[in-house]
Amino acid sequence: MSNVSKKQPQKSVPLIRFVLSELRRFVVIFLIASFAIFLAIESMPEDPVSLRVKNPDPQRIEEIRNALGLNDPAPVRYVRSVLDFVSLDWGESLISGRPVAGEIGRYLPATLELAALGVLFGITMGIGLVLVAHATGWRWLLQPVRGLGALGLTIPIFWIGLLLILLFSVKLGLTPVGGRFDFAYPNPQGTGFHLLDSLLAGDLQALWISIKHLALPVATLGLYPAAVVSGTLEARLGESYLQRLVTALRARGFSPARIWGKHVLRLVSGPVVTVIGTQAGALLGGAVLTETVYSWPGMGRFLVDGVLNRDIFVIQHGLLLVVVLALLVVTSADFLASRLDHQLARKDED
Amino acid sequence: MRRLDHHWFRLWVILPVVLLLSACGGSRESGEAPASFIFARGADAQKLDPADVDDGESVNTMAQMLEGLVGFKPGTLEIEPRLAASYSISGDGLQYTFAIRPDVRFHDGTALTAETARFSFDRQMDPTHPAHFPTASFQYWQNFYSDIERVEVVDAMTLRLHLRQPNASLLSSLAICPVWLISPAAFEKHGDQLPFHPVGTGPYKFVEWRSSEAVVMERNDDYWGGPRAGFERLVMRSIPLNTSRLSELLAGKIHGLDGIQPSELSDLENDPRFTIHEAPGMNVGYLSFSMLSEKVQDPALRRAISMAIDRDNLVQLALDGHGSVAAYPAPRGYLGIPDDAGPVRHDPEAARKLVAANPQWAQQTLELATFGQPRMYFPDPARIASLVRNDLEAVGLQVEIVNREFKSHLHASRRGEFDLCLLGWIADTPDTDSFLATFFHSRAAVMGSATNISFYRNPEMDALLDSALRVADSRERERIYRQVLAVWQRDLPIVPLVQGNQITVLDHRIGGYVLSPAGNHFLGPTYWKGNPSPE
Repeated sequence: MSNVSKKQPQKSVPLIRFVLSELRRFVVIFLIASFAIFLAIESMPEDPVSLRVKNPDPQRIEEIRNALGLNDPAPVRYVRSVLDFVSLDWGESLISGRPVAGEIGRYLPATLELAALGVLFGITMGIGLVLVAHATGWRWLLQPVRGLGALGLTIPIFWIGLLLILLFSVKLGLTPVGGRFDFAYPNPQGTGFHLLDSLLAGDLQALWISIKHLALPVATLGLYPAAVVSGTLEARLGESYLQRLVTALRARGFSPARIWGKHVLRLVSGPVVTVIGTQAGALLGGAVLTETVYSWPGMGRFLVDGVLNRDIFVIQHGLLLVVVLALLVVTSADFLASRLDHQLARKDED
Repeated sequence: MRRLDHHWFRLWVILPVVLLLSACGGSRESGEAPASFIFARGADAQKLDPADVDDGESVNTMAQMLEGLVGFKPGTLEIEPRLAASYSISGDGLQYTFAIRPDVRFHDGTALTAETARFSFDRQMDPTHPAHFPTASFQYWQNFYSDIERVEVVDAMTLRLHLRQPNASLLSSLAICPVWLISPAAFEKHGDQLPFHPVGTGPYKFVEWRSSEAVVMERNDDYWGGPRAGFERLVMRSIPLNTSRLSELLAGKIHGLDGIQPSELSDLENDPRFTIHEAPGMNVGYLSFSMLSEKVQDPALRRAISMAIDRDNLVQLALDGHGSVAAYPAPRGYLGIPDDAGPVRHDPEAARKLVAANPQWAQQTLELATFGQPRMYFPDPARIASLVRNDLEAVGLQVEIVNREFKSHLHASRRGEFDLCLLGWIADTPDTDSFLATFFHSRAAVMGSATNISFYRNPEMDALLDSALRVADSRERERIYRQVLAVWQRDLPIVPLVQGNQITVLDHRIGGYVLSPAGNHFLGPTYWKGNPSPE
């Protein structure tokens, strides 16, 4: 115990250095990404303004391009796009005329709610099944885990989503087919996270509606992380020091729940966090497909539509935001995993 | 000891699973009349500003809330008075006078008068008008209404349009979306947020718009015309994936949909729970030859290609029979378009002979541009392209397909960058001019924004098309359009291929729906008729 308190002041210096170096890396990557996105949009041959309309009038198109500042020199536009992003002035969608920031404010919570619950569900399923299989001694439980692994990694999310819809929505009528909420019932207002909003409002009906709409998309999206996590876990559990630890704990008479649910879980959580962090990109791809299958009004669909429509401000700021968010996720996963590993290392020393 | 542990632990695992499963009990919806009519389509509306949009979803949304001075008689393309109680056109075709219908109010309570009606015209024609938004396209004003020189309020309830020159297509243009009337008070209230707060006079009024989810409307209890709307609420959802949209219908969560592909209809055709409404759409899918390309300059080559293509085959294989061969560049039934099979005949033998007589044609590889996303005229454009290529290769020509995403394809098309190009046109007004001038007028052949993607420029054609607009007598117009068709047949800048059907699927308990040949949904008259009584 005294060991830990002595180390504390020394540890705070690397922490600050860690944050500073992360910050520097963050700024550099941000600038590179913003420039890359700008270049990509710049190299696009199509004019989004005239492609929006069926019957373009060249003179009017020029007027609109001028009003949007699209005819300014490229360096001016690049600097402006970066400043606009930083100051959250993200312009308006060329297609809908809605402020991009406001749109993202609507779609991002929808995606985050879905993604967070999907990942949570996936991790719980992945860890839960594997640990329960070991703790109960029901080795057959590992079969679905391995099957799940194959399923989650190989079968397109699209197809699984459609199967689930056919079974649970069309055949059984248990869940809605798609969408985020019921149109006959007032939308919960506030943060944009429906579960949270309906809880805050104490509206149980709204909560139930939200849960029903979330069930299938979350299960679909969770399949991939579940597969990844259970695979990592199984590999890790095969390591000999863990086997010895379990045997030792058992010999001391600990219950399976305590052995697996507490000691083993703590030891394997580091790698699981790292894996989830590095798989963030794949998760995002999964979120786009899940949103499409379940008509979920989220960022994935918003960005894909933005690209298809050449909706430049949506592409510029929306993609940059995704880059920033992905950076944040990866960085914090790194950080979290390194902290967990510190604990692990210290435990080993004890 | 260890075994006992396991047993207890297993119980703890099983218990929550059983509880969870027992909690999941669902109930099916009953057959009672629903408060909301839920209709789903493949995309959300873009803006709800009638003067600034051309996408079907926006127009279909506004069609429930807004109306024009005149409109189409349900199920037809006949013009009838709507917000004008009557109208008259002066003998020289230069003055259109509308007697505004009395006792009509916009949804916000503003009375409909000549003064409030003119707002919707003024904001489009006057660049200094405060509601002439800087980034709005006002594309239709230029195309359909630019002959209107001045809007005059004759008296409180009389509105007169003064034209620079006669325009025979104007009346039908006055029935379509860009000049549906919106309340000027809504502009006072919402300013440049007007496109998100449509206030009209129609059977439903705007409640809320959850972008990319749904537009929610409610019944306008003070509707001036006909019976009130049949439902308390009308919800127009957007569900992009066709399979998901169909699943919603099969699960009974929505009452109707559109945008479905012909190949997906087969499941529904024998299902008594649904009624399929199907009719020819206001569209033509065609093959264009770029006059900017060296390779297709010879009219004889274009003729050979037109004869090589088996268009019946396209309808059967690429439209699954849900469409028809397009005999002319404008659909059957339009003024001046004959009701026959047209001059383009399928004659691969003659085509082969022509190609054999011109060996230089077979030396070159023709680039056939097509695209990925389905449209009403080409539900499967890639399939159309490969069928066309097969036909052309069978007569000895070499074809290479270039498949692009739709916007890139449109970009290339509008610059004439192709040898052969597949594209189509969904008209906005049921006037022959809206097809023929779009395809053949040199005014529409502007680099980068062409709708005349063949870049076909012919002063004779221009003169004919212009003169057809200046005559009021429909028999005279018909005669001119026959001449236009003769010039088209001679020069053949495009080959019309197919006309796709518009398809709407509704719950069989929904009554009152009539498919509009103009291609829009008018859901105001629909109502719940319940389960049909056995006869």
